Amino acid sequence: MQTLNTSGPVRNIVIVGGGIAGWLTAGVIAARHQGPMKSGFTVTLVEAPEIKNIDVDEGTWPTLRTTLEKMGVSETELFRRCDATFRQGARFARWTTGALDDGYYHPLMPPQGFHQVNLAPHWLEQPGNRSFCDSVTPQGALCDQGLAPKTVATPEYQAVANYAYHLDAGKFAPFLQKHCTERLGVRHVSADVQSVRRAANGDIAGLALKQGGEVTGDLFVDCTGFAALLLGKELGVGFRDCGDVLFCDTALVVQVPYETPDDAIASHTISTAQSAGWTWDIGLPTRRSVGYVYSSRHIGEDQAADELMRYIGPQAKGLAPRKIPFRGGYRETFWKNNCVAVGQAAGFLEPLESSAILLVELSAKLIAEQMPANREVMEIVSARFNEVTHYRWGRIIDFLKLHYVLTRRPEKFWRDNTDPATVPGRLKNLLQIWKYQAPWLLDEFNRLEEVFPAASYQYVLYGMGFRTQIDPCDNDASRPLAVQHMRENAAMAGRLRAALPRNRDLVRKIQDYGLQPI
Amino acid sequence: MTNIVLLDSKIHADLKIQATPSAKLGDAQRFVPVAVGEFAHLVAYYPILFSKDAETGAFYCGVMLGIDEGENLFLPEGRDIYRPLNLQRGPFFTAGGNIAIDLDHPRVGTSGHSIFEAGEPSPYLNGIIGLFRELKPALEQTKIFVDTLLDSKLIEPIDISLSFDDGSRRQLEGLYTVNQDRMKNLADGKVVEFFQRGYLQAMYTMIASLKQIPALAMRKNALLAR
Repeated sequence: MQTLNTSGPVRNIVIVGGGIAGWLTAGVIAARHQGPMKSGFTVTLVEAPEIKNIDVDEGTWPTLRTTLEKMGVSETELFRRCDATFRQGARFARWTTGALDDGYYHPLMPPQGFHQVNLAPHWLEQPGNRSFCDSVTPQGALCDQGLAPKTVATPEYQAVANYAYHLDAGKFAPFLQKHCTERLGVRHVSADVQSVRRAANGDIAGLALKQGGEVTGDLFVDCTGFAALLLGKELGVGFRDCGDVLFCDTALVVQVPYETPDDAIASHTISTAQSAGWTWDIGLPTRRSVGYVYSSRHIGEDQAADELMRYIGPQAKGLAPRKIPFRGGYRETFWKNNCVAVGQAAGFLEPLESSAILLVELSAKLIAEQMPANREVMEIVSARFNEVTHYRWGRIIDFLKLHYVLTRRPEKFWRDNTDPATVPGRLKNLLQIWKYQAPWLLDEFNRLEEVFPAASYQYVLYGMGFRTQIDPCDNDASRPLAVQHMRENAAMAGRLRAALPRNRDLVRKIQDYGLQPI
Repeated sequence: MTNIVLLDSKIHADLKIQATPSAKLGDAQRFVPVAVGEFAHLVAYYPILFSKDAETGAFYCGVMLGIDEGENLFLPEGRDIYRPLNLQRGPFFTAGGNIAIDLDHPRVGTSGHSIFEAGEPSPYLNGIIGLFRELKPALEQTKIFVDTLLDSKLIEPIDISLSFDDGSRRQLEGLYTVNQDRMKNLADGKVVEFFQRGYLQAMYTMIASLKQIPALAMRKNALLAR
């Protein structure tokens, strides 16, 4: 007989699958529920002892700073143990025309005074060829010079210029595991799930382990990666492929040593358009991580490997890239019955805007904060979770596609990308509106925790040469404020350039001396 | 520039040191590191605060001697008031158990106090050796004091905004003091421990020294009015 309650309290959370998604979710939930955990609320993570996670070095979003700080993680330790470096956004090279000097930044700082005045129409009315980014934020200039976003005297997690991290994914998951189990009271069960026991209502009641015994729980979080063992395989939730919008389906990945230990570490992700996709290039303290994300319909593996090696240059000698096929898309439902998927079990998109860990954080936070008190209200919570999460995946796909639709590159991959039939309707409409009105706060960006805010759309649009037809008369009322903000931006850029250290120098200092908590 | 070498009675037999407090001789410093053992002397004149080492980010205790960079508003009094040991030591450093000297320091030259007399340390140098005997362990104890306060979250940033009669304003950044709210909520065991280690007294002295900030601002005001 089933012993499962269908109306009782939700007290025991079981996460299946380790890796970054599993441990980050465990940490976020456990940190949020430290109080209840003193009186019987439990977080258990079941992880197969043999499984190897796909460890590709990751770019992250500034949200990770808040997430880790709330978990009680020391930022100094993150730098020391996960080979972290600073990431101040991304530079998209050769995406528009393909020329060698073609490129723009998507920085992490919003334009100056973003919540007071929209600088985009004011930039549009200016003559000259100063880039949108440089006109509204100092961050592009900081990246150009390889400067860090803070100093050794800036407290942990605080920024002078907004930042996220690049980090060694293979080290990040064990780092989180140690913190979760030693500091946050997460139970770690190292065992293989052999079968799933279901309750009469379809809920997951327990997981039978190959090594013996059963793990029961009230809510199960599926962090089993592409396999989606619980939500996909067991509960039969389908996968919505987005290959018709985003064509890339394969990555070739390689680790590139520095020429000397003192080589500059770029403080941003360098994303360079190639003939049938794009390469990422991120700098860790001891090596660069470079990968070519491409569409296998448009280029063969050998040809792609040649292109990747050409991009890397002489340092590529003797390196053998690792091939990772992937399928872009997401689950038709993320939370069904008492099972919710996070990470690649929920879906995967090409890492063009480093959205993978960001989505894990957002989902974990939503689960932690909306944690259903009992099984009765779970349907309401899960319906809301599904709505919000579907919205987020849709908007990320729109935003990734935006990078492709404005290109003037001649290769077939890029021409195919501009085919209107491949552009989601919502993005198509926005592009129409943006012909006459620059994106800003009220556009479509009214959701709390919008994954990519209007500022991000501005940086990509105007970085790629998009022109909004503005009426200068519309600018009259806000012009004094806009001029003031642009002037402040120029002054701030000068101040920061003088005050900030080289990215590598600060990373080294953090390893040597650490950052202060205040 | 600095040129620090070990002190040698043969090589440096004829060197002389000018010990007078003077801006030209290296005393033009706005913030000088101090040791807990000096607090009782310092509090009579200076605000005692925490700041961060620009090179390492590490917290240390220091006194404010001025408002603007490179400004020491106490130089007119010269020798009549207590000078922090770190200024008194002038061009000398310790290197392990030995004394070292910065030959490029403006105090080093051909006039002033002799360092050696007939190959033996002069009374002046003996004074410096005595000073280091005091300063070195004192700085180590101070580091433990700072680290302990930091661990107990007893340090907090302090915003100092000053307005002067000439209409100018200063916003001082990067300074920290004792977090009095947290101090009041210290657990009983900690209170006893901190009392026995002398930390309670040191913290109260730092809090009392905040009253020297307006006094320092008045010195600055007088200077600006001249």
